[in-house]
Amino acid sequence: MIRTETIERDGRSIAVVLLDRPEKRNALTPDMLAALCTALEEAPKTHDAVVLAGEGKLFCAGFDLSLCKDDPSGETMRKLLTRLSRACTIMRRTEKPVVIAAHGAAIAGGCALLGGGDVVVSDIHAKLGYPVTKIGVSPAVSAPFLSYNVTTGTSREMLLVPELVSGEAAHAKSLVHELVDLREDVRDKAISIAANLADKPSHAYAATKSLLNQLEGTDDGEAFRLALDASLALTGGEEEQRLLAQLDL
Amino acid sequence: MPDLATLTIAGPITTLTFNRPDAHNALSIAMLTDAHRCMDEVESLARSDSAPTVLVVTGAGRSFCAGMDLKEVIIEDDPTLPVQLLESLARLTHRIRLLPMVVVGRVNGAAIGGGCGLVTVCDLAITHADAKLGFPEVDLGLCPAVVAPWLVRKIGPGKARQVLLSGGLMSGATAFEFGIVSSTVETRDELDGAVRKLTNTLATGGREALGATKKLLNTLDGSNDLDILLEAAKLSASVLATEDAQNRLKARRK
Repeated sequence: MIRTETIERDGRSIAVVLLDRPEKRNALTPDMLAALCTALEEAPKTHDAVVLAGEGKLFCAGFDLSLCKDDPSGETMRKLLTRLSRACTIMRRTEKPVVIAAHGAAIAGGCALLGGGDVVVSDIHAKLGYPVTKIGVSPAVSAPFLSYNVTTGTSREMLLVPELVSGEAAHAKSLVHELVDLREDVRDKAISIAANLADKPSHAYAATKSLLNQLEGTDDGEAFRLALDASLALTGGEEEQRLLAQLDL
Repeated sequence: MPDLATLTIAGPITTLTFNRPDAHNALSIAMLTDAHRCMDEVESLARSDSAPTVLVVTGAGRSFCAGMDLKEVIIEDDPTLPVQLLESLARLTHRIRLLPMVVVGRVNGAAIGGGCGLVTVCDLAITHADAKLGFPEVDLGLCPAVVAPWLVRKIGPGKARQVLLSGGLMSGATAFEFGIVSSTVETRDELDGAVRKLTNTLATGGREALGATKKLLNTLDGSNDLDILLEAAKLSASVLATEDAQNRLKARRK
Protein backbone atom coordinates (compact mmCIF):
# COMPACT_ATOMS: atom_id res chain seq x y z
CA MET A 1 0.00 0.00 0.00
CA ILE A 2 3.13 2.17 0.06
CA ARG A 3 5.39 2.07 -2.98
CA THR A 4 8.49 4.03 -3.96
CA GLU A 5 9.17 4.79 -7.63
CA THR A 6 12.40 6.32 -8.86
CA ILE A 7 12.10 9.07 -11.47
CA GLU A 8 15.12 10.60 -13.20
CA ARG A 9 14.52 14.28 -13.94
CA ASP A 10 17.14 16.79 -15.13
CA GLY A 11 19.91 14.47 -14.02
CA ARG A 12 18.51 14.13 -10.50
CA SER A 13 17.06 11.03 -8.93
CA ILE A 14 13.67 11.66 -7.34
CA ALA A 15 11.99 9.17 -5.00
CA VAL A 16 8.23 9.29 -5.53
CA VAL A 17 6.74 7.74 -2.40
CA LEU A 18 3.17 6.71 -3.22
CA LEU A 19 0.11 6.18 -1.07
CA ASP A 20 -1.21 3.26 -3.10
CA ARG A 21 -4.67 2.27 -1.98
CA PRO A 22 -6.77 4.05 -4.62
CA GLU A 23 -9.83 1.82 -4.14
CA LYS A 24 -10.10 3.28 -0.60
CA ARG A 25 -9.13 6.82 -1.63
CA ASN A 26 -5.72 6.13 -0.06
CA ALA A 27 -7.29 6.00 3.41
CA LEU A 28 -4.51 5.51 5.95
CA THR A 29 -4.23 2.39 8.10
CA PRO A 30 -1.72 1.94 10.96
CA ASP A 31 0.29 -0.52 8.80
CA MET A 32 0.32 1.89 5.89
CA LEU A 33 1.63 4.71 8.07
CA ALA A 34 4.33 2.44 9.50
CA ALA A 35 5.39 1.54 5.95
CA LEU A 36 5.25 5.22 4.99
CA CYS A 37 7.58 6.14 7.85
CA THR A 38 10.08 3.49 6.70
CA ALA A 39 9.85 4.63 3.07
CA LEU A 40 10.35 8.27 4.08
CA GLU A 41 13.42 7.34 6.13
CA GLU A 42 14.95 5.22 3.36
CA ALA A 43 14.24 7.37 0.30
CA PRO A 44 16.57 10.29 1.14
CA LYS A 45 19.48 7.87 1.63
CA THR A 46 19.37 6.77 -2.00
CA HIS A 47 17.77 9.74 -3.81
CA ASP A 48 18.34 13.47 -4.26
CA ALA A 49 14.80 14.48 -3.30
CA VAL A 50 11.47 13.02 -2.18
CA VAL A 51 7.96 13.57 -3.57
CA LEU A 52 5.01 12.25 -1.57
CA ALA A 53 2.03 11.54 -3.84
CA GLY A 54 -1.13 9.45 -4.00
CA GLU A 55 -2.37 6.97 -6.64
CA GLY A 56 -5.85 7.35 -8.14
CA LYS A 57 -8.22 10.28 -8.13
CA LEU A 58 -7.04 12.01 -4.98
CA PHE A 59 -4.07 12.33 -2.65
CA CYS A 60 -5.57 11.03 0.60
CA ALA A 61 -8.97 10.94 2.29
CA GLY A 62 -7.55 10.64 5.81
CA PHE A 63 -7.60 7.82 8.33
CA ASP A 64 -9.47 4.62 7.50
CA LEU A 65 -12.31 5.29 9.93
CA SER A 66 -13.90 1.88 9.46
CA LEU A 67 -10.96 0.47 11.44
CA CYS A 68 -11.44 3.06 14.19
CA LYS A 69 -15.16 2.35 14.37
CA ASP A 70 -14.42 -1.33 14.92
CA ASP A 71 -12.02 -0.58 17.78
CA PRO A 72 -13.76 1.13 20.71
CA SER A 73 -10.57 0.88 22.79
CA GLY A 74 -9.16 3.76 20.74
CA GLU A 75 -5.92 1.80 20.16
CA THR A 76 -6.20 2.04 16.35
CA MET A 77 -6.78 5.78 16.52
CA ARG A 78 -3.78 6.13 18.84
CA LYS A 79 -1.53 4.25 16.41
CA LEU A 80 -2.77 6.34 13.50
CA LEU A 81 -2.17 9.65 15.28
CA THR A 82 1.25 8.67 16.59
CA ARG A 83 2.49 7.36 13.25
CA LEU A 84 1.06 10.36 11.38
CA SER A 85 2.98 12.72 13.64
CA ARG A 86 6.11 10.61 13.12
CA ALA A 87 5.75 10.66 9.32
CA CYS A 88 5.50 14.47 9.32
CA THR A 89 8.49 14.79 11.64
CA ILE A 90 10.62 12.52 9.44
CA MET A 91 9.85 14.63 6.35
CA ARG A 92 10.55 17.83 8.25
CA ARG A 93 13.87 16.62 9.61
CA THR A 94 15.33 15.03 6.50
CA GLU A 95 18.04 17.18 4.91
CA LYS A 96 16.83 16.47 1.38
CA PRO A 97 14.02 18.41 -0.33
CA VAL A 98 10.50 17.04 0.31
CA VAL A 99 7.63 18.06 -1.98
CA ILE A 100 4.01 17.01 -1.44
CA ALA A 101 1.80 16.40 -4.48
CA ALA A 102 -1.68 16.90 -2.98
CA HIS A 103 -3.96 16.37 -5.97
CA GLY A 104 -7.76 16.21 -5.81
CA ALA A 105 -8.24 16.07 -2.05
CA ALA A 106 -6.19 16.00 1.15
CA ILE A 107 -8.55 15.53 4.04
CA ALA A 108 -7.96 15.29 7.79
CA GLY A 109 -4.95 12.98 8.28
CA GLY A 110 -4.27 13.40 4.56
CA CYS A 111 -4.13 17.16 4.97
CA ALA A 112 -1.91 16.73 8.03
CA LEU A 113 0.75 15.10 5.81
CA LEU A 114 1.11 18.43 3.99
CA GLY A 115 2.84 19.76 7.09
CA GLY A 116 5.91 17.65 6.35
CA GLY A 117 6.69 19.21 3.00
CA ASP A 118 9.15 21.97 2.13
CA VAL A 119 6.80 22.73 -0.77
CA VAL A 120 3.16 21.70 -1.22
CA VAL A 121 1.61 21.50 -4.71
CA SER A 122 -2.13 21.21 -5.28
CA ASP A 123 -4.81 22.03 -7.87
CA ILE A 124 -7.35 24.85 -7.80
CA HIS A 125 -10.37 22.58 -7.30
CA ALA A 126 -8.78 20.31 -4.68
CA LYS A 127 -10.52 19.98 -1.31
CA LEU A 128 -8.35 20.43 1.75
CA GLY A 129 -8.94 20.68 5.48
CA TYR A 130 -9.24 19.06 8.90
CA PRO A 131 -12.96 18.49 9.62
CA VAL A 132 -12.23 15.91 12.33
CA THR A 133 -13.83 17.57 15.35
CA LYS A 134 -17.07 16.27 13.75
CA ILE A 135 -15.98 12.76 14.74
CA GLY A 136 -14.75 13.83 18.16
CA VAL A 137 -11.10 13.84 17.13
CA SER A 138 -8.85 16.82 17.87
CA PRO A 139 -6.67 17.91 14.93
CA ALA A 140 -4.21 19.31 17.49
CA VAL A 141 -1.57 16.90 16.18
CA SER A 142 -1.36 19.01 13.00
CA ALA A 143 -1.12 22.38 14.74
CA PRO A 144 2.68 22.80 14.93
CA PHE A 145 3.20 21.68 11.32
CA LEU A 146 0.36 23.88 10.07
CA SER A 147 1.59 26.93 11.93
CA TYR A 148 4.94 26.75 10.12
CA ASN A 149 3.10 27.48 6.88
CA VAL A 150 0.27 29.80 7.85
CA THR A 151 -0.19 32.46 10.56
CA THR A 152 -1.35 31.20 13.93
CA GLY A 153 -4.64 33.03 13.24
CA THR A 154 -5.26 31.03 10.08
CA SER A 155 -4.13 27.85 11.78
CA ARG A 156 -6.77 28.47 14.48
CA GLU A 157 -9.44 29.00 11.83
CA MET A 158 -8.52 25.90 9.81
CA LEU A 159 -8.34 23.60 12.85
CA LEU A 160 -11.48 24.84 14.61
CA VAL A 161 -13.91 25.14 11.67
CA PRO A 162 -14.78 21.60 10.56
CA GLU A 163 -15.01 22.21 6.81
CA LEU A 164 -12.94 21.89 3.64
CA VAL A 165 -11.49 24.72 1.56
CA SER A 166 -10.56 24.74 -2.14
CA GLY A 167 -6.98 24.46 -3.36
CA GLU A 168 -7.24 28.06 -4.45
CA ALA A 169 -8.28 29.21 -0.95
CA ALA A 170 -5.58 27.04 0.65
CA HIS A 171 -3.05 28.72 -1.66
CA ALA A 172 -4.25 32.16 -0.53
CA LYS A 173 -3.70 31.04 3.07
CA SER A 174 -0.18 29.73 2.18
CA LEU A 175 -1.02 26.14 3.13
CA VAL A 176 -0.41 25.33 -0.55
CA HIS A 177 2.63 26.94 -2.18
CA GLU A 178 2.23 26.03 -5.85
CA LEU A 179 -1.08 25.74 -7.63
CA VAL A 180 -1.92 24.11 -10.98
CA ASP A 181 -5.25 24.07 -12.82
CA LEU A 182 -5.66 20.32 -13.26
CA ARG A 183 -5.25 17.56 -10.70
CA GLU A 184 -3.57 15.39 -13.38
CA ASP A 185 -0.69 17.89 -13.50
CA VAL A 186 0.06 18.06 -9.77
CA ARG A 187 2.51 15.16 -9.56
CA ASP A 188 4.56 16.25 -12.55
CA LYS A 189 4.79 19.78 -11.18
CA ALA A 190 5.91 18.40 -7.81
CA ILE A 191 8.62 16.30 -9.48
CA SER A 192 9.90 19.35 -11.40
CA ILE A 193 10.06 21.39 -8.21
CA ALA A 194 11.83 18.55 -6.39
CA ALA A 195 14.38 18.25 -9.23
CA ASN A 196 14.96 22.00 -9.13
CA LEU A 197 15.51 21.96 -5.37
CA ALA A 198 17.76 18.89 -5.65
CA ASP A 199 19.90 20.87 -8.08
CA LYS A 200 20.95 23.32 -5.33
CA PRO A 201 24.24 22.56 -3.57
CA SER A 202 23.12 19.89 -1.11
CA HIS A 203 25.13 21.15 1.85
CA ALA A 204 23.60 24.62 1.49
CA TYR A 205 20.08 23.19 1.21
CA ALA A 206 20.66 20.97 4.25
CA ALA A 207 22.17 23.75 6.36
CA THR A 208 19.34 26.16 5.50
CA LYS A 209 16.58 23.64 6.10
CA SER A 210 18.16 22.67 9.39
CA LEU A 211 18.40 26.31 10.49
CA LEU A 212 14.74 26.90 9.61
CA ASN A 213 13.83 23.79 11.61
CA GLN A 214 15.75 25.18 14.57
CA LEU A 215 14.00 28.55 14.33
CA GLU A 216 10.59 26.87 14.14
CA GLY A 217 11.34 24.48 16.96
CA THR A 218 11.11 21.34 14.80
CA ASP A 219 14.36 20.11 16.31
CA ASP A 220 13.38 20.29 19.91
CA GLY A 221 10.18 18.34 19.34
CA GLU A 222 8.39 19.71 22.40
CA ALA A 223 5.59 21.26 20.33
CA PHE A 224 5.09 17.95 18.47
CA ARG A 225 4.82 16.05 21.75
CA LEU A 226 2.33 18.51 23.24
CA ALA A 227 0.25 18.47 20.07
CA LEU A 228 0.22 14.69 19.74
CA ASP A 229 -0.63 14.29 23.44
CA ALA A 230 -3.57 16.70 23.06
CA SER A 231 -5.01 14.53 20.26
CA LEU A 232 -4.21 11.24 22.02
CA ALA A 233 -5.93 12.37 25.23
CA LEU A 234 -9.37 12.06 23.60
CA THR A 235 -8.94 8.68 21.88
CA GLY A 236 -11.37 6.01 22.99
CA GLY A 237 -13.39 8.65 24.85
CA GLU A 238 -17.17 8.88 25.06
CA GLU A 239 -17.53 11.76 22.58
CA GLU A 240 -15.32 10.15 19.95
CA GLN A 241 -17.11 6.81 20.24
CA ARG A 242 -20.56 8.43 20.03
CA LEU A 243 -19.70 10.55 16.98
CA LEU A 244 -17.85 7.72 15.22
CA ALA A 245 -20.82 5.42 15.75
CA GLN A 246 -23.08 7.97 14.01
CA LEU A 247 -20.77 8.02 11.02
CA ASP A 248 -22.19 6.43 7.89
CA LEU A 249 -19.27 4.75 6.13
CA MET B 1 -29.24 51.04 35.27
CA PRO B 2 -29.48 48.43 32.48
CA ASP B 3 -26.82 45.73 32.15
CA LEU B 4 -23.99 47.09 30.04
CA ALA B 5 -23.14 43.60 28.83
CA THR B 6 -25.64 40.76 28.47
CA LEU B 7 -25.62 37.04 27.85
CA THR B 8 -28.13 35.15 25.69
CA ILE B 9 -28.14 31.37 25.85
CA ALA B 10 -29.59 29.39 22.91
CA GLY B 11 -28.63 25.69 22.99
CA PRO B 12 -25.04 25.20 21.84
CA ILE B 13 -24.63 28.90 20.97
CA THR B 14 -24.28 31.59 23.63
CA THR B 15 -24.00 35.30 22.82
CA LEU B 16 -22.19 38.04 24.76
CA THR B 17 -23.44 41.51 23.76
CA PHE B 18 -21.81 44.80 24.69
CA ASN B 19 -24.78 46.96 25.52
CA ARG B 20 -23.98 50.65 25.46
CA PRO B 21 -25.35 51.40 22.00
CA ASP B 22 -25.66 55.16 22.62
CA ALA B 23 -21.92 55.30 23.31
CA HIS B 24 -21.02 52.92 20.45
CA ASN B 25 -20.28 50.34 23.16
CA ALA B 26 -17.19 52.27 24.23
CA LEU B 27 -15.13 50.49 26.88
CA SER B 28 -15.95 51.98 30.27
CA ILE B 29 -15.01 50.48 33.61
CA ALA B 30 -18.69 49.81 34.31
CA MET B 31 -19.23 48.03 30.98
CA LEU B 32 -16.10 45.95 31.48
CA THR B 33 -17.28 45.02 34.98
CA ASP B 34 -20.57 43.79 33.52
CA ALA B 35 -18.67 41.89 30.80
CA HIS B 36 -16.58 40.19 33.51
CA ARG B 37 -19.81 39.23 35.28
CA CYS B 38 -21.03 37.64 32.02
CA MET B 39 -17.72 35.77 31.80
CA ASP B 40 -18.29 34.35 35.31
CA GLU B 41 -21.52 32.92 33.98
CA VAL B 42 -19.98 31.61 30.72
CA GLU B 43 -17.13 29.95 32.62
CA SER B 44 -19.55 28.24 34.96
CA LEU B 45 -21.72 27.15 32.00
CA ALA B 46 -18.60 25.72 30.36
CA ARG B 47 -18.13 23.40 33.34
CA SER B 48 -21.74 22.19 33.24
CA ASP B 49 -23.36 19.42 31.22
CA SER B 50 -25.07 22.01 29.03
CA ALA B 51 -21.82 23.71 28.05
CA PRO B 52 -22.20 25.68 24.83
CA THR B 53 -19.99 24.86 21.82
CA VAL B 54 -19.77 28.43 20.56
CA LEU B 55 -19.71 31.92 22.13
CA VAL B 56 -20.64 34.80 19.82
CA VAL B 57 -19.30 38.23 20.88
CA THR B 58 -21.08 41.26 19.47
CA GLY B 59 -22.24 44.85 20.08
CA ALA B 60 -25.75 46.25 20.43
CA GLY B 61 -26.75 48.87 17.86
CA ARG B 62 -24.66 50.04 14.92
CA SER B 63 -21.16 49.56 16.36
CA PHE B 64 -19.21 46.59 17.68
CA CYS B 65 -17.06 48.60 20.11
CA ALA B 66 -15.58 52.05 19.55
CA GLY B 67 -12.61 51.63 21.91
CA MET B 68 -11.85 53.27 25.24
CA ASP B 69 -14.39 55.67 26.67
CA LEU B 70 -12.61 59.03 26.42
CA LYS B 71 -14.35 60.31 29.56
CA GLU B 72 -12.48 57.76 31.63
CA VAL B 73 -9.03 58.18 30.13
CA ILE B 74 -8.75 61.96 30.36
CA ILE B 75 -7.06 62.40 33.69
CA GLU B 76 -8.67 65.19 35.64
CA ASP B 77 -10.02 63.93 38.93
CA ASP B 78 -8.93 60.36 39.33
CA PRO B 79 -5.60 59.40 37.69
CA THR B 80 -6.08 55.71 38.55
CA LEU B 81 -9.06 55.27 36.23
CA PRO B 82 -7.08 54.59 32.99
CA VAL B 83 -4.97 51.85 34.54
CA GLN B 84 -8.08 50.27 36.08
CA LEU B 85 -9.79 50.31 32.71
CA LEU B 86 -6.81 48.94 30.81
CA GLU B 87 -6.17 46.19 33.35
CA SER B 88 -9.81 45.18 33.27
CA LEU B 89 -9.68 45.04 29.45
CA ALA B 90 -6.45 42.99 29.57
CA ARG B 91 -8.04 40.49 31.95
CA LEU B 92 -11.22 40.30 29.85
CA THR B 93 -9.27 39.48 26.67
CA HIS B 94 -7.41 36.75 28.54
CA ARG B 95 -10.62 35.25 29.93
CA ILE B 96 -12.28 35.24 26.49
CA ARG B 97 -9.27 33.51 24.92
CA LEU B 98 -9.11 30.80 27.58
CA LEU B 99 -12.75 29.73 27.21
CA PRO B 100 -13.04 26.14 25.99
CA MET B 101 -15.75 27.01 23.46
CA VAL B 102 -14.99 28.49 20.03
CA VAL B 103 -15.42 32.28 20.16
CA VAL B 104 -16.82 34.03 17.09
CA GLY B 105 -16.79 37.83 16.74
CA ARG B 106 -19.93 39.16 15.07
CA VAL B 107 -18.42 42.50 14.11
CA ASN B 108 -21.61 44.41 13.32
CA GLY B 109 -19.94 47.80 12.90
CA ALA B 110 -17.06 49.96 14.06
CA ALA B 111 -14.38 48.05 16.00
CA ILE B 112 -11.72 50.51 17.00
CA GLY B 113 -8.64 50.36 19.21
CA GLY B 114 -9.43 48.16 22.20
CA GLY B 115 -12.66 47.23 20.38
CA CYS B 116 -10.65 45.89 17.45
CA GLY B 117 -8.44 44.18 20.01
CA LEU B 118 -11.51 42.26 21.19
CA VAL B 119 -12.03 41.16 17.58
CA THR B 120 -8.50 39.73 17.39
CA VAL B 121 -8.98 37.79 20.63
CA CYS B 122 -11.88 35.87 19.07
CA ASP B 123 -10.95 32.58 17.42
CA LEU B 124 -12.89 33.67 14.32
CA ALA B 125 -14.59 36.89 13.30
CA ILE B 126 -16.97 38.01 10.58
CA THR B 127 -17.68 41.57 9.52
CA HIS B 128 -19.14 43.41 6.54
CA ALA B 129 -17.14 45.19 3.86
CA ASP B 130 -18.03 48.74 4.99
CA ALA B 131 -17.41 48.32 8.71
CA LYS B 132 -14.60 50.47 10.11
CA LEU B 133 -11.88 48.59 11.95
CA GLY B 134 -8.42 49.46 13.12
CA PHE B 135 -5.96 50.67 15.69
CA PRO B 136 -5.64 54.50 15.55
CA GLU B 137 -3.84 54.60 18.92
CA VAL B 138 -0.55 56.03 17.62
CA ASP B 139 -2.46 58.88 15.91
CA LEU B 140 -3.79 59.87 19.34
CA GLY B 141 -0.41 59.68 21.02
CA LEU B 142 -1.31 56.32 22.62
CA CYS B 143 0.26 52.87 22.58
CA PRO B 144 -1.94 49.88 21.62
CA ALA B 145 -0.06 47.68 24.07
CA VAL B 146 -2.88 45.43 25.36
CA VAL B 147 -4.04 44.48 21.87
CA ALA B 148 -0.56 44.05 20.37
CA PRO B 149 0.10 40.47 21.61
CA TRP B 150 -3.30 39.37 20.26
CA LEU B 151 -2.77 41.00 16.87
CA VAL B 152 0.69 39.45 16.54
CA ARG B 153 -0.82 36.02 17.28
CA LYS B 154 -3.58 36.63 14.76
CA ILE B 155 -1.75 37.98 11.71
CA GLY B 156 1.97 37.50 12.45
CA PRO B 157 4.58 40.01 13.64
CA GLY B 158 5.38 41.53 10.22
CA LYS B 159 1.84 42.57 9.40
CA ALA B 160 1.09 43.54 13.01
CA ARG B 161 3.99 45.99 12.88
CA GLN B 162 2.55 47.55 9.73
CA VAL B 163 -0.97 47.83 11.15
CA LEU B 164 -0.10 49.14 14.63
CA LEU B 165 2.59 51.62 13.56
CA SER B 166 0.50 53.02 10.68
CA GLY B 167 -2.53 53.72 12.88
CA GLY B 168 -5.71 54.87 11.15
CA LEU B 169 -8.78 52.85 10.25
CA MET B 170 -9.51 50.34 7.50
CA SER B 171 -12.61 48.87 5.88
CA GLY B 172 -13.91 45.42 6.76
CA ALA B 173 -12.69 44.27 3.34
CA THR B 174 -9.11 45.39 4.11
CA ALA B 175 -9.32 43.87 7.60
CA PHE B 176 -10.10 40.56 5.91
CA GLU B 177 -7.07 40.92 3.61
CA PHE B 178 -4.88 41.47 6.68
CA GLY B 179 -6.40 38.42 8.41
CA ILE B 180 -7.86 40.48 11.28
CA VAL B 181 -11.26 38.94 10.53
CA SER B 182 -11.67 35.45 9.07
CA SER B 183 -14.42 36.40 6.60
CA THR B 184 -16.49 39.31 5.34
CA VAL B 185 -19.88 39.75 3.73
CA GLU B 186 -20.81 42.53 1.31
CA THR B 187 -23.48 44.26 3.37
CA ARG B 188 -24.54 44.54 7.00
CA ASP B 189 -27.80 42.70 6.13
CA GLU B 190 -25.89 39.56 5.20
CA LEU B 191 -23.99 39.41 8.48
CA ASP B 192 -26.47 37.39 10.53
CA GLY B 193 -26.84 34.75 7.82
CA ALA B 194 -23.08 34.31 7.63
CA VAL B 195 -22.70 34.14 11.42
CA ARG B 196 -25.50 31.56 11.64
CA LYS B 197 -23.91 29.42 8.94
CA LEU B 198 -20.52 29.51 10.68
CA THR B 199 -21.85 28.83 14.18
CA ASN B 200 -23.99 25.96 12.90
CA THR B 201 -20.94 24.43 11.20
CA LEU B 202 -18.92 24.84 14.39
CA ALA B 203 -21.69 23.23 16.44
CA THR B 204 -21.32 20.03 14.37
CA GLY B 205 -17.89 19.62 15.95
CA GLY B 206 -17.45 17.61 19.13
CA ARG B 207 -17.28 19.92 22.12
CA GLU B 208 -14.37 18.12 23.76
CA ALA B 209 -12.45 17.86 20.48
CA LEU B 210 -12.86 21.59 19.86
CA GLY B 211 -11.91 22.43 23.45
CA ALA B 212 -8.80 20.25 23.36
CA THR B 213 -7.73 21.74 20.04
CA LYS B 214 -8.21 25.30 21.27
CA LYS B 215 -6.31 24.60 24.47
CA LEU B 216 -3.33 23.30 22.50
CA LEU B 217 -3.42 26.27 20.12
CA ASN B 218 -3.41 28.60 23.14
CA THR B 219 -0.37 26.81 24.53
CA LEU B 220 1.51 26.92 21.23
CA ASP B 221 0.90 30.62 20.54
CA GLY B 222 1.49 31.89 24.08
CA SER B 223 -2.12 32.91 24.74
CA ASN B 224 -2.00 31.68 28.34
CA ASP B 225 0.45 34.43 29.29
CA LEU B 226 -1.49 36.90 31.48
CA ASP B 227 1.62 38.71 32.75
CA ILE B 228 2.49 40.11 29.34
CA LEU B 229 -1.01 41.61 29.14
CA LEU B 230 -0.83 43.19 32.60
CA GLU B 231 2.59 44.66 31.76
CA ALA B 232 1.08 45.96 28.54
CA ALA B 233 -1.79 47.60 30.46
CA LYS B 234 0.77 49.46 32.60
CA LEU B 235 2.75 50.56 29.55
CA SER B 236 -0.39 51.74 27.81
CA ALA B 237 -1.47 53.67 30.92
CA SER B 238 1.93 55.37 31.23
CA VAL B 239 1.86 56.53 27.59
CA LEU B 240 -1.71 57.68 28.07
CA ALA B 241 -0.70 59.81 31.06
CA THR B 242 1.80 61.90 29.07
CA GLU B 243 0.90 65.53 28.49
CA ASP B 244 0.90 65.09 24.74
CA ALA B 245 -1.57 62.21 24.87
CA GLN B 246 -3.82 64.02 27.34
CA ASN B 247 -3.89 67.16 25.15
CA ARG B 248 -4.76 65.12 22.07
CA LEU B 249 -7.53 63.27 23.89
CA LYS B 250 -9.01 66.53 25.21
CA ALA B 251 -8.93 68.05 21.73
CA ARG B 252 -10.71 64.99 20.41
CA ARG B 253 -13.45 65.18 23.03
CA LYS B 254 -14.38 68.71 21.94
